[in-house]
Amino acid sequence: MAAVTLKGLGKRYDHGAAPAVQDVSFDVADGEFFVLLGPSGCGKSTTLRMIAGLESITEGELAIGGRRMNEVPARDRDIAMVFQSYALYPHMSVYDNMAFGLRRRSLPKTEIDRRVQEAAGILGLGPYLARRPHALSGGQRQRVAVGRAIVRHPEVFLFDEPLSNLDAALRASTRQELARLHRRLGATMIYVTHDQVEAMTMAQRICIMDHGRVAQIGAPLEVYRRPATTFVAGFLGSPPMNLLPAVAAAGALRIGATMLPGSFAVPDGPLTLGIRPEDLEPAAQGALRGEVVAVEPLGAETIVALRLPAIERDLLLRAGRNATVALGESLAVNAPAAAVHLFDAAGQRIARPLEGN
Amino acid sequence: MAGRVLLRAALTLLIALWTAFAAGPLTWVAMISLRSTSEFLAAPYALPESWRFDKYATAWTASGYDTYFANSLIVVGTSVTIVTIVGAMAAHCLARYRFPGNRAVYFLIFSTIVLPPQITIIALFQTLAAIGLYDSRTGLVLVYAAVQLPLTVYILESFFARIPADLFDAARIDGYSEWAAFWKVAFPVAMPAIATVVILNTILLWNEFLYAVVLIADDARRTLPLGIQKFMGDQLEDYGMIATGLMIAIIPVVLVYAFFSEKLIQGMTAGAVK
Repeated sequence: MAAVTLKGLGKRYDHGAAPAVQDVSFDVADGEFFVLLGPSGCGKSTTLRMIAGLESITEGELAIGGRRMNEVPARDRDIAMVFQSYALYPHMSVYDNMAFGLRRRSLPKTEIDRRVQEAAGILGLGPYLARRPHALSGGQRQRVAVGRAIVRHPEVFLFDEPLSNLDAALRASTRQELARLHRRLGATMIYVTHDQVEAMTMAQRICIMDHGRVAQIGAPLEVYRRPATTFVAGFLGSPPMNLLPAVAAAGALRIGATMLPGSFAVPDGPLTLGIRPEDLEPAAQGALRGEVVAVEPLGAETIVALRLPAIERDLLLRAGRNATVALGESLAVNAPAAAVHLFDAAGQRIARPLEGN
Repeated sequence: MAGRVLLRAALTLLIALWTAFAAGPLTWVAMISLRSTSEFLAAPYALPESWRFDKYATAWTASGYDTYFANSLIVVGTSVTIVTIVGAMAAHCLARYRFPGNRAVYFLIFSTIVLPPQITIIALFQTLAAIGLYDSRTGLVLVYAAVQLPLTVYILESFFARIPADLFDAARIDGYSEWAAFWKVAFPVAMPAIATVVILNTILLWNEFLYAVVLIADDARRTLPLGIQKFMGDQLEDYGMIATGLMIAIIPVVLVYAFFSEKLIQGMTAGAVK
């Protein structure tokens, strides 16, 4: 087991072109489940591949277990990786797929067999060891890919969107299995995904990336509750946080022509106001009034979209499961001052006295 | 229902006609190979009066077909082995590695496919004579390997290009070098395509005549197609023996094809890497 440290890691493919990854720094503690989260093209996979040794590092430093790894080839980094496509060797049986990496390390046959059987036991692959990958279901292939990593007993596990090829039901159960596996092995795991549910449910800490840079690092709920930028605010949560243009003047906030109740200790000027859909409270005399333009009953809750005429923006709110809202109806909501997030013109969070920083 | 029966009947008839058209000449040659030349000249299309299987033994021992057969086996076997390994390596490089001039090299190799052999044969003859490889099986092997390389690279490159790059990344993480990944992953995964080029090249080279006739002179180094030519005299042609020689040449090809045809079709239609 080992800690992984990135210091100002960067990846530039061609001189002149914008870097794919820029100034990424974080420490993954020994045994931590760390998730890299972001939309496609944000550099999370490239970062993972640099940790794996599949991409060269053009800037910064990478250390695993305290040892600098920039120039160490992938095979000597003591890492194992699970690929999005699983990358199972199609011409080998399940057993050989798992044993392939061990044979290269010239372990004794009995030890290889012991490890493969052990991994097969953990993952329930026992009956399929003699099969070729094409004779397996998607879920079984995914397990083989995980098994191939487990048998290696690596310092660090790397996962590159391992669940994105599974259907929704299987994804949910595999998510729990992976979390269980992490508890069982106690290994350091770095996991790349674009799925915030995977990130929120499995991670001990999340690193959200945007345009090749780190946007925020923190525990899942901390990131959810206190997003550092408008990007994080808009990316996490389903539906995401409402972000509205507002103007601050003398401690009061104005959206369009509407003054928000409550006082806000922020510098005067334009800013972005964020509020989560679940924090909006329907109220007859609510400050924000608009026309209902969409109603999405999801069973456990109902998502309602309000069109705010003053700023021509939709406001999403989570109404209860018994909400009776009709399209075209006029509805007013309150945005409690304590639940409001504020971001400056550059999209950075403005700390408010209430939060203590 | 009646329509479908009719359609089936029509298709069966069509296939029967095509089979007759394709297999007719072969059957004819097979018949002649069991008859003597005088018998053949008297009645070209008749069935054998007595089945002269002994002609095969005569051809094999007295007419030197054992030598020709062995020569063909050596020359074709060696050149197909070389062209498969070199071609697979070249195709793997061109498909997998990005380097300046990759497409230029690919195009250069592939463009030689358009040149008919007649254009290069005189230059080849002189080159081989100059380096002392004229009239040698080694020279013929090198020429065969070189001539079949473009097609081989072309077929294999398109197949290797479809092998997902993740497989090689996985092999790297599993601890294998690029060289080992080629042999343990790329080569076996590409087996259907490899089988295809092995069969194609074997059949093409087994029947190859032009290069052999120009580059081989000594009777002891002749391949099968040249051996058959020996029976075509200026005045008299020994049709019976020519047919027997043809059958000796054809039978291995038919066997190879029968044995590997399933793999051949697999390779031609392959896409199922995943």
